[in-house]
Amino acid sequence: MSFAFHRPGSLDAAIAVASEHGEAARFLAGGTDLMIQINRGRAAPKHLISLAGLGLDTIGESEGEHVIGALATLDAVVTHPAFQTGLVALTQASAVVGGRQVRNIATVGGNIVNASPAADLVPVLLALEATVDLRGPAGTRSMPLDRFLVGRGRTERRPDEILTAVRFDKPPAASATWFLKAGRRKAMEISVICVAAHLVRGGKARIAIGAAAARTVRVPAAEALAEKEGAAAFREAGRIAADAVSPIDDVRASARYRKLLVATLVERALAACADRLGKDGR
Amino acid sequence: MSARPHRVAGKRLKRIDGLGKVTGKYVYASDFALPGMLFGKILRSDEAHARIVRLDVSRALALPGVRTVLTAKDIAPIRFGTAIRDRTVFAAEVVRFRGEAIAAVAATSLEIAEAAVRAIEVEYEPLPAVFDIEEALKPGAPLVHPGWSDYQALPVFDREGNVSGRSAMAGGDVEAGFAQSYRVYEHHFTTQPVHPGYTEPRTAIASWDGNGDVSVWCNTQLPFDMKNLLAEVLDLPASKVRVVVPGIGGGFGGKLRVGVEHIAAWLARRSNRPVKVMTTSEEELTDAYPRQPTVITLKTGVSEDGLLLAREARVLLDCGAYANSGPATAAIALQIVAGPYRTPNFSYESVAIYTNKGATGSFRAPAGPMGNFAVESQIDLIADDLGIDPLELRLRNVYREGDKGPAGDVLTSVSIEDSLRRAADAIGWKDRRPGPGRGKGLACSWWLTTGGSSGVYVKINPDGTVTVVSGAVELGSGAMTGAAQILAEELGVDLTDITATDVDTNLSPYDYGAQGSRTAFSVGNACIAAAKDLRRQIAELVAPIWGVAPETIRLEDKGVTSGNNRLSLAEVAALSQRTGGGLISHGTSIQPMPVFDPTRVKNHPLPAWTSHSFHTHAVDLSVDEVTGEVSINRYVVAQDVGFAINPTYIEGQIEGGVAQGIGQALSEEIVYDGGRVSNANLTDYKMPTMMDMPRVECILIEKPSVNGPYGAKGVGEPPCIQPPAAIANAIAAATGVRIQALPITAEKIALARAQDED
Repeated sequence: MSFAFHRPGSLDAAIAVASEHGEAARFLAGGTDLMIQINRGRAAPKHLISLAGLGLDTIGESEGEHVIGALATLDAVVTHPAFQTGLVALTQASAVVGGRQVRNIATVGGNIVNASPAADLVPVLLALEATVDLRGPAGTRSMPLDRFLVGRGRTERRPDEILTAVRFDKPPAASATWFLKAGRRKAMEISVICVAAHLVRGGKARIAIGAAAARTVRVPAAEALAEKEGAAAFREAGRIAADAVSPIDDVRASARYRKLLVATLVERALAACADRLGKDGR
Repeated sequence: MSARPHRVAGKRLKRIDGLGKVTGKYVYASDFALPGMLFGKILRSDEAHARIVRLDVSRALALPGVRTVLTAKDIAPIRFGTAIRDRTVFAAEVVRFRGEAIAAVAATSLEIAEAAVRAIEVEYEPLPAVFDIEEALKPGAPLVHPGWSDYQALPVFDREGNVSGRSAMAGGDVEAGFAQSYRVYEHHFTTQPVHPGYTEPRTAIASWDGNGDVSVWCNTQLPFDMKNLLAEVLDLPASKVRVVVPGIGGGFGGKLRVGVEHIAAWLARRSNRPVKVMTTSEEELTDAYPRQPTVITLKTGVSEDGLLLAREARVLLDCGAYANSGPATAAIALQIVAGPYRTPNFSYESVAIYTNKGATGSFRAPAGPMGNFAVESQIDLIADDLGIDPLELRLRNVYREGDKGPAGDVLTSVSIEDSLRRAADAIGWKDRRPGPGRGKGLACSWWLTTGGSSGVYVKINPDGTVTVVSGAVELGSGAMTGAAQILAEELGVDLTDITATDVDTNLSPYDYGAQGSRTAFSVGNACIAAAKDLRRQIAELVAPIWGVAPETIRLEDKGVTSGNNRLSLAEVAALSQRTGGGLISHGTSIQPMPVFDPTRVKNHPLPAWTSHSFHTHAVDLSVDEVTGEVSINRYVVAQDVGFAINPTYIEGQIEGGVAQGIGQALSEEIVYDGGRVSNANLTDYKMPTMMDMPRVECILIEKPSVNGPYGAKGVGEPPCIQPPAAIANAIAAATGVRIQALPITAEKIALARAQDED
């Protein structure tokens, strides 16, 4: 493998390099997935454009929203004070990506644009109905994450567009999130199934599932049921979610087991949200 | 043995190689480099079984920076192998597994070498392949080695076609035993291939000198075996081959046999430059020496009160495309399926079988986890069926002092009952199912301390320190620290006074190698012999000066004494240098072979075990009622170590072995899809992490062996034997689900449960 390494001094300069080289260039954030792809011969970019030092690594908030910069590391999410209670699913998902060394360098933006169906943070962001901000030669644009994700490894991002941030509305006080993941071991694991739930008191539920289809998906039919709350509704929501997804058989697990996991983890994630709502009075 | 209490042996002292390792200054083979060194890479087969119809290296040779490209036709056509000479350095004409080396390149950078490997053109004509051992035994199955009968092999193994070895043990009358039995049980078990999981990849750096001698720096466990192997494949007298082991980042049996040393040596020979070759994770998972997969059938007859009356066992072992240690591993499986149990009538057979998959090897306790999984799972199945507590059933059947092993050898220092009781007590056996989804299981076994000879040179330096030169490498287990503790004890010095050198086959005395739980045991005995000789030399030197009898001379507290006379060891060593060439001795050791009954054994290289040990594992775990996820709450090991030379590193061996055993029990598997490994990376090959590991509670039982230093027994291999069986038994106790195929993934448990509920 060999490539030219670019360290542009501004976002516009980074975009200009990307525009010049088109498909031959890739943006480099944490590199925890891209370098593996390169090493395994699945990607052979001629140009790597570093996004370090361009101010994309902040996690901030406005009156109504949280904004996570694309270069914020997963470790920064794990320790961020605003994500420790109602938004704890962000922390839970970020804390189980790879090992500590990986989380110290892997980024939120990378987890999104890589578009792995097993990306752990993506279901949480989908359940929060997040929006992604993109910047390219023609300026900036935003779109719902749900629309941004197209398929395995595919998104709406153009090769010379940078995902700069992901944003989502601050959830109401009486709401909770939860994230669950199943894999063969308890750490350093790629999800066999991962599930995020977001429950708002008074009738709003969001459920997103990873590693159960070609991309992370929401399951509106299960959400509608979950909004009724209660153990029976949650159980039924799990069953509907399992019917709705189309996982594959691979070396990590069978489709049949993945469906069983979807049913169980959806039910448990919803129950955990309800439990938190009950406990904290949120 | 010293009558005084020990000062050094038996103490929790810091290992002699510890400081370098924790400061990052220790030099492993993979750190080693030489000026002007080239980098080697290997082209590997894309086909599982095929004829090579075209192999064109011209594009690779033309790349700037490429110095050498080698294929089978460029080197001596020599076959080598542990049991059977069935393998060549590069596949010649036919490839037998996907991942087999076809060619190698040496270039000025790794990137150029990789590009050159990609530039080699190969065309294959596929041949019928066989991947399943039971298929491979059928008449008309494709032969992995059609020329098998022409191969040279150790005469002990019985071979034919795809069978690379067949061994058997029998005693009593098994049919009569079944006829007498109250019940007869037959069960079938399967186990998977797992990688030894050493941290450091296999590495070699080879360099030829002006005399046509070759030096190879590598991380082999067996430097002297490697020297002989390299001499063979290089077609040289062994005296022209030197093997040096700077340091090893783990081996676990996976570095017993040649890895990349032969390829580095050939590349260096042809390029006239030093060459370094190091494997990648993908190469480790496709062409290394993983544990052989097995299929085991056990038929056991018992009396109404659970006494074992008869057992028939058949072990089929998949050795992959090359036999390597497969036939010997299959043979050892016979003692493992016997278990530590009195069985008056038995007939055990094992078959090592070729398939078109990667070769396999002697991973820590070869045959241990596989056979033990079968035997100890079946003991629980029988106990459940008879309504007898599994601990009680074991206690009724285990060996007692003076019983005979399967080969008719008399067993001494038998501690199995003690280990069972202590492990069971520690885990709280009386409450076997403490709550929903929670259960406890146990499994016991026995193992040998491998023989083979050891030699050490021990030198007392004029500053009073001691240098030990051994042909045994420090694998990481702390075994050389154990041997040094024994030496320090014998010479009356501190452990910190002892230095052990690296192994260099030109300088070090012979050692059978760091394998088979023997290093601390055997090198320790050689140290005792060397110390004895040094005491004689010192007495002969000092007694006349003092005018005392030589028998009164003692070594203690870094000095030499007799009555009120005292000289420091440093003074005596200096005196010897001035007058007699210095204090140096050559100590050697070899374990005596036990007497056994040859009529009970067929085709077995290790029919009677030397200095066997006994051990029990007990586990308390919880299983998620839906997902099947297993969480281990507690893990107890009660292991008879004879004498704990250094309890800290013995506990380290136990913890590490349990981790490997948990991997084999729950998560690890080299997954073959036909002939292709579908998880040849460390993302999908699942070794346990810290988060999967319980704290391991170690109970060290010290029932002295006859032959070990201070009564020690081998400790390194046993801890990985029982985890699969103990965990399978605990899962069955927790869930009612009995899984007879390793690994016991959460998926298997969950789907078996879902099936039960349907």
